[in-house]
Amino acid sequence: MKNILYIICLLTLASACNKTNADKLVDATTKSVTDAVDPALAWRSAAPQPGEARPIQLGESTSFELDNGLKVIVVENHKLPRVSYQLSLNHEAIAEGDKAGYLNIAGDLMKTGTSSKSKAEIDEAIDFIGASLSTSARGMFGSSLTKHQDKLLALYSDILYNPSFKEEEFEKLKKQVLSGIASSKTDPNSMASNVASVLNFGANHPYGEVETESTIENIKVEDCKNYYESYYKPNNAYLVVVGDITPVMAKAKVEKYFSSWKRAKVPEMKYRATSPPDETKVSVVNKDGAVQSVIRVTYPLNITLASEDLMAARVMNSVLGGGIFSGRLMQNLREDKAYTYGARSNINPNPLVGSFGAFASVRNEVTDSSVQEFMYELNRMVTTDVSQEDLDLVKSSMSGGFARSLESPQTLARFARNISKYNLPIDYYETYLKRLQAVTVQDVRAAAEKYIKPNNANIVVVGSKDDIAEKLVRFDADGKLDYYDAFGNEVKYDEMPLSDDITAQSVLGDYIAAIGGMDKCKAIKSMHTVSEFEVMGQNAKMDLYQEAPNKMAMKMMMGEMMVQEQVFDGTKLKAGAMGQNKVSTEGDEFDSAKDNATMFPQMYYSEMGYKAELKGTENIDGASAYKLMIESSTGKKKTQFYDVKTSLLLREVQSSEGPQGPMTITNDFADYKEVGGVLIPHTITLSGAMPVPLKMQLSNVEINKPVPAGTFNIE
Amino acid sequence: MKKLLLLLCLWFSANAAYCQMNKVEFEEYDLDNGLHVILHQDKSTPIVAVSIMYHVGSKNEQPDKTGFAHFFEHLLFEGSANIERGEYDKYVEKAGGTLNANTSFDRTYYFEILPSNQLELGLWLESERLLHAVVNDKGIETQREVVKEERRQRVDNQPYGSILEESMKRAFTKHPYKWPIIGSMDHLDAAVEADYKNFYKDFYVPNNAVLSIAGDLDFDQAKEWIDKYFGQIPRGTKEIYRPSIVEPPLAAEVRDTVYDNIQLPAVVQVYRIPAQGTPDFYAVSMLGTLLAQGESSRLQKAIVDEKQKALFVGNFPLNMEDPGVAIAFGIANMGVPVNEVEDAIDEEIERSRNELISDQEFQKLRNQVENDFISRNARVAGIAESLANYHMYYGEVNLINTELERYLSVTKEDIMRVAKKYYHKDNRVVLHYLPKETQL
Repeated sequence: MKNILYIICLLTLASACNKTNADKLVDATTKSVTDAVDPALAWRSAAPQPGEARPIQLGESTSFELDNGLKVIVVENHKLPRVSYQLSLNHEAIAEGDKAGYLNIAGDLMKTGTSSKSKAEIDEAIDFIGASLSTSARGMFGSSLTKHQDKLLALYSDILYNPSFKEEEFEKLKKQVLSGIASSKTDPNSMASNVASVLNFGANHPYGEVETESTIENIKVEDCKNYYESYYKPNNAYLVVVGDITPVMAKAKVEKYFSSWKRAKVPEMKYRATSPPDETKVSVVNKDGAVQSVIRVTYPLNITLASEDLMAARVMNSVLGGGIFSGRLMQNLREDKAYTYGARSNINPNPLVGSFGAFASVRNEVTDSSVQEFMYELNRMVTTDVSQEDLDLVKSSMSGGFARSLESPQTLARFARNISKYNLPIDYYETYLKRLQAVTVQDVRAAAEKYIKPNNANIVVVGSKDDIAEKLVRFDADGKLDYYDAFGNEVKYDEMPLSDDITAQSVLGDYIAAIGGMDKCKAIKSMHTVSEFEVMGQNAKMDLYQEAPNKMAMKMMMGEMMVQEQVFDGTKLKAGAMGQNKVSTEGDEFDSAKDNATMFPQMYYSEMGYKAELKGTENIDGASAYKLMIESSTGKKKTQFYDVKTSLLLREVQSSEGPQGPMTITNDFADYKEVGGVLIPHTITLSGAMPVPLKMQLSNVEINKPVPAGTFNIE
Repeated sequence: MKKLLLLLCLWFSANAAYCQMNKVEFEEYDLDNGLHVILHQDKSTPIVAVSIMYHVGSKNEQPDKTGFAHFFEHLLFEGSANIERGEYDKYVEKAGGTLNANTSFDRTYYFEILPSNQLELGLWLESERLLHAVVNDKGIETQREVVKEERRQRVDNQPYGSILEESMKRAFTKHPYKWPIIGSMDHLDAAVEADYKNFYKDFYVPNNAVLSIAGDLDFDQAKEWIDKYFGQIPRGTKEIYRPSIVEPPLAAEVRDTVYDNIQLPAVVQVYRIPAQGTPDFYAVSMLGTLLAQGESSRLQKAIVDEKQKALFVGNFPLNMEDPGVAIAFGIANMGVPVNEVEDAIDEEIERSRNELISDQEFQKLRNQVENDFISRNARVAGIAESLANYHMYYGEVNLINTELERYLSVTKEDIMRVAKKYYHKDNRVVLHYLPKETQL
């Protein structure tokens, strides 16, 4: 859903601008966008010094516990006449197995009906007071103007105590989730997250589970209900009240609405720790037609809020990939090399298992160069000390960030909850700035040595495989790339090792032999084919004449109307649609017509100046196939797949410039039948050009019949 | 991300002295050079937001030089006569602050949020940017590539990422809203030194800017520093180009298909609506709330929940200085043809055109608008921007306290009237987004 909302945000292109290392500056060509600097303005040359800083004060929160075990934290703040109630469950994570996604559905389902109210009634009641109320697997959140808070709490507690888990609402949600999963298949960031989770944590760890169509199909409404009944208990929850309310009033409200909630024992789960990979591996997720690659360098880490060196680790990460623009990744990949709009990193402490991640979206051509710079910066962190100046900058920047975060009363509430939930020292946040200031160059280096692991990382790259994969091999410790689909399932492209006697030439030769041999192919002087297909509900047909060595005339008809034609007379191309024709002797369309004009062009590739390169084998719809990259004399590339067993051409993939930018067109050949001694595919499926694949069936083939006079004339 | 969405989607609701809302106090004045200054004090956290809003967006560009406003936003972090390349943001980070900027069709906005003892630094930085920015070749080359990556990341490689661009280029044929904010990469590649100088001279002048400061500050001290750093900056001498191009009515529905790297088809309806601040705009905003805000809203309830045709539906009237658009769109649930989603949206829009809403539903709209309006102004950075907006577009800063009254003066009849007037076929562009291919 995030990407959908994204477009609205495009209204303002939030930007980020910034530059680079001081030592690289001073460009001889520096020019002012204004004219010469006025000497009278010399006083401006130095930045003003700061005044005396006002101390940063955390503010106060109040805590209490109800008899049923519900822990409550209140932060009073009257800036806006609003109040919010956030309930969060205490347990960490639950493995969902082959039902991944049921917890999220359980959370969403809670708001879709209670024993006395339908979903429509609940929605109406919330919107009527202009409030917001949401439920999730991790808890509930509600907020409204102070004057509406009793109405809000009445709804809130009804949902908390009496969710009805109706089958009908469950089915609706399931459908939505399935659509969302379908939609995420083309979102490169979702794809990268899925694969990174699986690789970092393993598919059996709660953090490594990925929702797929099949795990969603496995879920029953009872699973959701069971979750609610086991975990939604007051002794397993914090309630955080923030806003325009006094602690006394908050206590009264909480007691009124939450004290009848019944305590019960909550199951406890334990999960094994996961560790980083033994050596760095590169995993590629193919996204056809991608114009950027999404790169993530990531691995699991054992680090929690209570870790002694967490502060040093955070400072270290900030040097590497934090800050606004000052992080090394941003400076290197954006400000120096302009590979990306942004490159950052993060360290996520977590009580079960934490993680490190560094990430950027970069254009296809610089994918490997970008990975190189990521690895360079990771290594530099481990092998060299940060300068005192850089360290000071990061500390100032982090202190400022801490101070700014205090503007939101929610921050204070989160602090209080973390201290209680994770048994942190009571002054954990009060000493935050002091602990930050105490971090030394040596501490940063030690944290880097412990937490930055360039040799034990998962490098996940989502992008156009054929454009990027080969150059990424060098970053993989065992030199073998792993491929995954959008959900983290392994995909096999390279099925078997190639023996030395298989070459591009041998594959092409075997193909010609398989369809009938050179002599039989050459004996075909002319061919007339008619193919039929359906497009947008209408019947259409393609009428094609070909004559050796390289003439061609093609007409595309929809009903009785000719929608497109092409005539190639050996030197010139006439092409057009609806009677508007253009004659050309160069260009993309010319090249491809020239290509199509030759029957069985594989026989002539070397004569025509084409290059063919064997790229390995791939699985094409269950058949193992040799993959050949063919490059025409004009540099146009296409990929062909020849069946290892039958030697027949199975698929041809070509990129071309469409009206909406580049598109990838795939032709699948099937149903080979003998005509005039040669095997001709009788079904060709064309996908990529239209939303639905076009299936063309050969309905008539004539060999060596006289071609009507004038067929190849270009007047 | 979500927060940004909220900000934009709810942009159309504003802020007033209604019920128990805390009034936002401010002071405003002009310097002799035309710089408009707005100050707001809030001492609850020791931070201060320093911002300048320049009244230049993509609509002030020439048709053969699109993307300049946004490109400038990148370039103006490059440095000044006194700030070397790479140092601008370092000053801010070293001071414990943060900074950023963004560009819209109508304006460019720069801000720093600093510890309050660093206010003077913020003023120096912003005045340097306005007085004598400096850009070198390395900076231009780098930012050009960065902007191209920005485009790839936000538009080309993002499912549905081109909706705004595809909508605007069809909804407008003459007005500069027709080209994307990020502009043409060819135009940026072709730009020469004189283009940069001219754009800077034309638009980066104090009489085209609002300096808005909110947070922990002392007014007298702030005024003294503002005078020191901005007082000597010369007023622009040229008349500032503001397009007077009036976009003719669409006359007939425009329909098209866009093939994108997506899995689920989507329908986009783009209705031409009046400019922000006009009485009809408030009514159109309320109509937008009726249609799509909250799960009980008409589109959500009918299409996502009851008929289950769509995974998502929304309707967003965009706040624009000149007459603009409201974008309604729906993403089909798996297996649902896009036509059915469109028909379902049409049905609800038709209803709003023909039936007066009930008192109950009308009260709900008013409560929603009130809630949204009152909930703004939680942070000083947001307050600084709102204050600048109200001055730049409305010439009335106090609307930060009173704009709610304008929403609340909209009647049920107004909502039906604007639905009839603007939400009709001849006034819209319809796009069907279809998957480039259906594979795997």
